Amino acid sequence: MGTLRYILRRLFFCACLVVGVSLILFALINAIGNPIEILLAERPGMTDEIVAEISRYYGLDGSVTDRYLTWAGAMLQGDFGTSIIYNQPVGGMLVTFGLETLKIQVPGILIALLASVGASVLAATRQYSRVDFGVISAAMLGHSLPGFFVGILLILVFAYWLGILPSYGAYSTRSMLMDSEIIDGLWHMVLPVSMLAFFNTATLTLLLRASLVDTLRQDYITAARAAGLPERRVVLGHALRNAFIPVLTYLGILFGLMLGTAPVTETVFTWPGLGALYIMAIQQLDYPLIMGTTMVITVMLVAATLLTDIAYVLIDPRIRLG
Amino acid sequence: MPSIPVSASSPPLLRAEGLVVHFHTRDGVVRAVDGVDFEVGRGETLGIVGESGSGKTISSLALLRLVPPPARIEAGRVLFEGEDLLALPETAMTRVRGRRISMIFQNPATSLNPILSVGAQLSEILVWHGMATKREAPERIAELLRLVGLTDPAARLRQYPHELSGGMRQRVGIARALLCDPSLVLADEPTTALDVTIQAQILDLLAELRARLGMSMVLVTHDMGVVARMADRITVMYAGRVCESGSARTIFHSPQHPYTRALLDSMPRLDRSYRSGGRQLLPAIAGRPPGLLNPPAGCRFAARCPEATAECRRVLPVQVAVGPDHMVACLRRGSQGMAA
Ligand SMILES: Nc1ncnc2c1ncn2[C@@H]1O[C@H](COP(=O)(O)OP(=O)(O)OP(=O)(O)O)[C@@H](O)[C@H]1O
Ligand code: SF4
Ligand SMILES: [Mg+2]
Repeated sequence: MGTLRYILRRLFFCACLVVGVSLILFALINAIGNPIEILLAERPGMTDEIVAEISRYYGLDGSVTDRYLTWAGAMLQGDFGTSIIYNQPVGGMLVTFGLETLKIQVPGILIALLASVGASVLAATRQYSRVDFGVISAAMLGHSLPGFFVGILLILVFAYWLGILPSYGAYSTRSMLMDSEIIDGLWHMVLPVSMLAFFNTATLTLLLRASLVDTLRQDYITAARAAGLPERRVVLGHALRNAFIPVLTYLGILFGLMLGTAPVTETVFTWPGLGALYIMAIQQLDYPLIMGTTMVITVMLVAATLLTDIAYVLIDPRIRLG
Repeated sequence: MPSIPVSASSPPLLRAEGLVVHFHTRDGVVRAVDGVDFEVGRGETLGIVGESGSGKTISSLALLRLVPPPARIEAGRVLFEGEDLLALPETAMTRVRGRRISMIFQNPATSLNPILSVGAQLSEILVWHGMATKREAPERIAELLRLVGLTDPAARLRQYPHELSGGMRQRVGIARALLCDPSLVLADEPTTALDVTIQAQILDLLAELRARLGMSMVLVTHDMGVVARMADRITVMYAGRVCESGSARTIFHSPQHPYTRALLDSMPRLDRSYRSGGRQLLPAIAGRPPGLLNPPAGCRFAARCPEATAECRRVLPVQVAVGPDHMVACLRRGSQGMAA
């Protein structure tokens, strides 16, 4: 009924949010000071005239409002400026590195989703059994181990000791595995995706199992059984769908914060993704790159929130579109 | 009281014998249902009465083998239309549940799936039992919704449980129980969660449906008034055991067990007057039922029984016939003891 209107209203709200974040980001960056002065002032042979000249070249001489409008306006047309360090258009870099990040993050989340559904169903339908206890223990352990530790462990075992998987990079630098770019790429994805899947599975399983245990105790589940529906249908059709409702929020956060967790994974595996790029940009004070990456993270987080809200509306009829 | 004659010769539709359900908790074994017998004849309504915690719900769930973990059915037989349900394989049970025996739940707010429309959840059951195709289902369900007194059934089909009032939801719950034209309906306190005015409507509906469809019913309640109105036969439970059972007429006119008598005494009746100025209008039964984790030896009612003797605290009474179709478990009414 009002679903479309609801989505449009949320979209408008999200757009405001993105603009808000861009303002704050701009204000913060601005507060650090003129980057040209910071980057170049110490160099020998720098005169005020040269600094002023370069500032003018980068458009840093106008008023704050002018500069924000120029930046935001260009961004809307897909122009994120030029990276100071790499001397390349930031927009193109965001796409290239972003795709590399998505390549490991999306499978990492999707595999975790499947695995945690399997583990949760197995555990929750056998509450307090050894299987349940095993699943909880493994999930707790996985959840509390730091991500980088698991990553290093994976590298140690599969790359160093067994020597069957590459420990860094997205592609082989010299000869491709089986002379195929696709196979070589997949081969490199195995370890980083495993680390992400492992960590995400652990957390999702903890949440989903608890929710499923709670759902299986509900009257409508007993009622479904009393109506003669077979256990499979009761658990997968009735209980699981209800149990997912509280987990949706976390799932949305996982997708939204993809780039928040990316730096760790991408550092451990030297993965050429946005996370690694972000760290580099900050270390080198590459202003356009920092701002571009931050805006991408913001948009992803906001988009994930929006998608979560829409998913809620689709799955739970009790949500009022108010 | 409806007066359908209780035939002694034909076998009952359902007969539970020596039903034992224990909860295996961390603290020990909770004897929630501890050797319970009852029976329901064809077309008959059995009222199971007893105060909270006496094991009524667990007993009725045990009939469908749906006791919640950590409970387990430890012993007994549930003879239904000639077979022992407790001995059936699980796949055969799914063809009994919902189709030959169905259930109406206490709380209509929690016993319907919140994320499925009324039509979706009812049609799934109908189709699963092969009673209709997916296309025929909506029409059949709409018909049934009209039968349980819901107006505009076509619109109700598309509605979700939260869009209905409590009374309407319970009508949907009743319709769900009637989907496959079962021979027995278990109703666990079907009116307790409803407003008083709605309670009467739902009871009327159940009585009407029963007369019209000729099904048998097990009506679980703690309300003697409801039993008086609906039941042909009554089983009184206390702390996981049966105190007394018999035809409704017998139980109301010549109750034998001290607990049954106390229950009847605490019931408001038109032919008795109560002091209206006093603080306590009805004589309640003093004390509380014993815990079912390590219940005391002897009669479970001994601690509250006005007639208890020393023997009552040592010996567990077994049911004995005190009249035609009238069983009592009380040492002072001729019960044999089961040393414990
Ligand atoms: N999860 C549980 N763990 C341990 N014991 C339980 C549990 N659930 C129920 N019991 C035991 O089972 C007994 C019977 O419970 P049941 O729900 O059948 O009572 P009832 O007669 O239906 O009461 P009510 O009128 O409150 O619904 C309770 O007294 C309690 O001792
Ligand atoms: S056996 Fe004893 S305690 Fe139990 S009901 Fe009879 S008289 Fe009372
Ligand atoms: Mg109950």
